[in-house]
Amino acid sequence: MHELSLIEALIEELEKQNELNKWGKVLKVNLKVGAMRQVIPEVMTFAFEVSTEGTFLDGAKLELDIVPIKWRCKACGNEWDEERATNGGLCEKCGSIDVELLSGMELEIESLEVEDTDVTES
Amino acid sequence: MSRKVSVRKSVFAADEQYAFKIREMFKDKGILMLNIIGSPGAGKTTLLEATLKSLPFKAAVIEGDVATSRDAERISKTGTPVIQINTQGGCHLEAHLVWKALQDLPMEELDIIFVENVGNLVCPAEFDLGEDYKVAVCSVPEGPDKPLKYPHLFFRAGVVLLTKVDFLEHFNFDKELFWGDVKKLNPHAAQLEVASPVGKGMDAWFEILEKWLVEKRR
Repeated sequence: MHELSLIEALIEELEKQNELNKWGKVLKVNLKVGAMRQVIPEVMTFAFEVSTEGTFLDGAKLELDIVPIKWRCKACGNEWDEERATNGGLCEKCGSIDVELLSGMELEIESLEVEDTDVTES
Repeated sequence: MSRKVSVRKSVFAADEQYAFKIREMFKDKGILMLNIIGSPGAGKTTLLEATLKSLPFKAAVIEGDVATSRDAERISKTGTPVIQINTQGGCHLEAHLVWKALQDLPMEELDIIFVENVGNLVCPAEFDLGEDYKVAVCSVPEGPDKPLKYPHLFFRAGVVLLTKVDFLEHFNFDKELFWGDVKKLNPHAAQLEVASPVGKGMDAWFEILEKWLVEKRR
């Protein structure tokens, strides 16, 4: 259930940002999630629905962009993707342990879709 | 009609500021801070008790639990300064809670601060407390499959401690599988086997603590 903790942190951050930006009604939250974070999308969206009730995000939709785990071997330059972390720190090609993680740890609020209140009335 | 606004903020932005503050403060003071993570019953508090009894450094402990001050009472008996944080249902510690607790510790006298996180292999791995290293604690009775089931923690740990190794003969624990998986996920993590109540493996643990402390103060 770490999805609930992540969602609580997300709401807290957006509430803070909203005080500065006064976004108004939020329709959608676009969130980048690295696969290393082991988030189950259905649990995440459910936690979002439940936790946003009564907040300024009430009714908004959570859209997840899952970023694959990407490794690069510093020794031989080999790059590879993983859907789940299983063989992370070892290069499958040359066996080196000098491996860096290029992506997969993201938990970034990318953008929002907010209701446009700037419509000029005729 | 709707419009798109760019946010580009980490989910942890607010808490990351506290983690940053903690890291900056301890860089100045040369204090090593460790975040001890493991499931309930893995032996985190027992490891700390045994550590504090013969540790050649001045230490303090921050205890994170959902409820009760039982762990703090246990630590207190070793004569070590300890602060208990009750998360009131929260399944992990966060940097702002640690920052607050730190204000009550005798900082000028310390070498190492052990933060014992709430017993849980998942959420505590997600939240940066400003520590130097995460310490993953996993016990023999839990079985050897934890690293691959909870890769995030093992991937980020500076050391993995297998505890209760004096019980190995009573459990069908495949040590080769366990350490093989740890190595796959994190070849850089130190690997230790301990049975802390009987002192087994504690010298190697102290060596790691000393090495980290020396590095920190270099």
